[in-house]
Amino acid sequence: MNRWLVGALWAELIAGTLAAQRPPAPAAMKPTLPDGPGRQVVQQACGSTCHGAEIVAGKGYSRDNWATVVNSMIARGAKASGTEFGEIVDYLTKNLPPRTGKAGAGGVGFIGSGPDDAHLVDGEAAERGKSVYVAECITCHGNRARGGPDSLPPPQRGADLVRSLVVLKDRYGATIAEFLKKGHPMQSGKPSASLDGPQVLDLAHFLHLKVNDTLRSGPFSEVINVLTGDAKAGAEYFNGAGGCNKCHSVTGNLAGVGKKYDPPALQQKFLFPKSFSVGRGGRGVSSTKPVTLKVTPAGGKTVSGVLLHLDDFNVSLRDDAGEYHTWTRSSGLKVEKSDPYQAHIDLLDKYTDKNMHDIVAYLETLK
Amino acid sequence: MRTTLFLFLVVSSWAQTLDPAKLSAPPTDTWPSFNGDYSGRRFSPLTKVNANNVSSLSLGWVYRMTAQSAGPFPGSIKSTPVVVDGVMFFTIPDHVWAIDARTGRELWHFAWPSRGGIHIGNRGVAVYGKWLYFETPDCNLVSLNMKDGKERWHKQICDPDLLYFASAAPLVVGNHVIAGVSGDDLDVPGYIQSHDPETGAMQWRWYAYPEVGSPEAKSWPTVEAMLHGGGMTWGSTTFDPELNLIYFGTGNPQPVIAHKGRMGDNLFTECIVAVNADTGKRAWYFQSSPHDTHDWDANQTPVLIDGTINGQPRKLLAQAARNGYFFVLDRVTGKNIVTSTFAKANWAKGLDQKGQPIPDPAKYPQIDGALVSPNQAGAANWPPPSFSPATGLFYVNASNAYSVYYIYDDTEKPEGWGGNDRGGWSETVMQAIDYQTGKIRWSHKWEGPGGPRSGVLSTAGNVVFAGDPQNNFVALNATTGQPLWRANLGAGMSNGPISYQLDGIQYVVVGAGDTLYGFAMHGK
Repeated sequence: MNRWLVGALWAELIAGTLAAQRPPAPAAMKPTLPDGPGRQVVQQACGSTCHGAEIVAGKGYSRDNWATVVNSMIARGAKASGTEFGEIVDYLTKNLPPRTGKAGAGGVGFIGSGPDDAHLVDGEAAERGKSVYVAECITCHGNRARGGPDSLPPPQRGADLVRSLVVLKDRYGATIAEFLKKGHPMQSGKPSASLDGPQVLDLAHFLHLKVNDTLRSGPFSEVINVLTGDAKAGAEYFNGAGGCNKCHSVTGNLAGVGKKYDPPALQQKFLFPKSFSVGRGGRGVSSTKPVTLKVTPAGGKTVSGVLLHLDDFNVSLRDDAGEYHTWTRSSGLKVEKSDPYQAHIDLLDKYTDKNMHDIVAYLETLK
Repeated sequence: MRTTLFLFLVVSSWAQTLDPAKLSAPPTDTWPSFNGDYSGRRFSPLTKVNANNVSSLSLGWVYRMTAQSAGPFPGSIKSTPVVVDGVMFFTIPDHVWAIDARTGRELWHFAWPSRGGIHIGNRGVAVYGKWLYFETPDCNLVSLNMKDGKERWHKQICDPDLLYFASAAPLVVGNHVIAGVSGDDLDVPGYIQSHDPETGAMQWRWYAYPEVGSPEAKSWPTVEAMLHGGGMTWGSTTFDPELNLIYFGTGNPQPVIAHKGRMGDNLFTECIVAVNADTGKRAWYFQSSPHDTHDWDANQTPVLIDGTINGQPRKLLAQAARNGYFFVLDRVTGKNIVTSTFAKANWAKGLDQKGQPIPDPAKYPQIDGALVSPNQAGAANWPPPSFSPATGLFYVNASNAYSVYYIYDDTEKPEGWGGNDRGGWSETVMQAIDYQTGKIRWSHKWEGPGGPRSGVLSTAGNVVFAGDPQNNFVALNATTGQPLWRANLGAGMSNGPISYQLDGIQYVVVGAGDTLYGFAMHGK
């Protein structure tokens, strides 16, 4: 098949959808944020500068996964206080849980990508469809419907159904039924047209579930195993080259840290201590220390406190007594910044991946 | 030329029109395309606002998208406005507005009845004669009448069922409307295509994979992997009229993170590509990220520079890529002249003979994590950079960043993403890069943690405009990087700033969140 034939194939497929013009759907159908405590802060932090809140509103995750999403956004500059990030994770966990199981859940459209009228997977029907798949399809199309194994000879190596246009264009079995009516080999030897309407619909739910499982917002976006390091080497790094023991003590402020966080959270926590962490048992743990400032006007007295705002033109802080101070920056105004996590930031340029894995292994032992 | 003359005669009685010939050398009372001109340099020759008086720049008008016009959550303005004959046109996904470029007064608003797709952003409109063109998340290229925002036609350019969507600003070149596509949830091929500006009919399509059996096809293990290999075209396109070549970048290969089924360089993903504007035939390619595994789309603007290398005048192209590398190429041949880094980048172990980075397998995503810089958001991304011929500097709002990349799907045949990065740290720095050497001439680190980056505008007034992570719209001295002026807009700057002059008043317009701000320099 040459490039142009392949191109023509794709063009034809896309032109095919062009012919099937559907009536317009109202723009108001876009998902919005459910009411509940924390909605306002979610709207402000997640729905103003970078993207609209509908990007968030279409998703459904566990607390761990929402915390992961929020941490990625903190790293990209999302603006809120530690407490507010806690409220955001609480709101998202409560109002936008994983979409599984029931009818109407797990549709492609509702996670933000794909068409609004995409097939919505019914979990129970997909479970029934799995039985049909195992009985009639699995030998050639593989365990995950991504095509048969390379060990099979080409005629028996079934197509990748997650990439199949018959599946991707299907809604509730309509396109799949049309395909099966034309005749397609099945494991039982029965004609494919013998599958009845409900069986085809169940099979469609199962195949669409396999597509949804493939998406990055799917249920398998979990860290597999980060405990691959050498705890002894981790202890050496902690007390030696890493200099961690200059601020931390494994019997003091890090006592029991391996009990507090599971290993993936532990890895993120020491690399990026400003991240929002979910501890073992699903509790939010946010105890980051603020950046502090010392500001000295020309000939004036030094004022110290927690940084509230600092840019090239202005600076403000809140002192220990709770008073707010604000200045215009100038060459005569001395501003000294102190980030309690600067040592962690500096280490990012120094860690090898082995150091990182060894430290996780070591911290995990601190129970 | 005859077409241009004819068009000029026909359109001269209309109020808002654009002679396509003016896209090459736009008058200063317009900003007629996403980048302002075909070079992509986003340089304004205007000098009424300059480094000596920018501290007197004042607010002329404000336009805020209202809930009534844009639905309950309008999101943010990521489009670069286009200005023609005193009227400004801008977009968010599914919506187009026309406002008065002198006052911000709304003239019309168009809402597309959406059928889905990712609503992450829309980069803006293209204009041709009296017609506007924009893309929708549900994969349509739509043409409107500039006068009243009435739809003229729409054409489907991709398939939402395959999880494509569309977000790019089209580019008008002669009698072509060039449209790129987006989407990397499922493993589908990228392409870019051209449409007739009058009828909307497709003229050509270029696919981001090589011909089966060609030497480049050997950069994939199988034809199946190649045909599902990604390489979307959501960035901005530039054009050299003398060479009749358009230039654009291609996005990440698929599957995005879990890469074991696509070992090899994965051409033509992650490439800067030159294509004949009339035929869609490839002239050359240069791969910014061979075998990318970090979602570092090479869609950053390929900026065209008419410069000098070793005393010789050269036609050049420069890109500050998402992977942290800065490239200068000969845009006639695609041959590399400069490769350097403009941000932290720990993922390559050197350069190959073509000047392309060689990925370090140790920094591929790993089951137990790999600490990688930059992070997935990249050292640069969609916010457009700028090049000033006055200073010879390439300005990019860059990120130094780290995150950890994991493989989530360790099975035999991963698809889609199969992994991702998590967490991270970042800081944002304005980098002024000498295009002849790739060396950083000056660097201005913004205070605080890295934030949403903005686009950049440089001007003949020796000013660079950009956003900082603290919601400020800032003017810097283009030669030294010294901050000169700011306006805190209360939301992060969300697009690329533009400038134009009307009735002797120079305007600088920027979007921040749901609002456009029109700054104006009055007086002499």
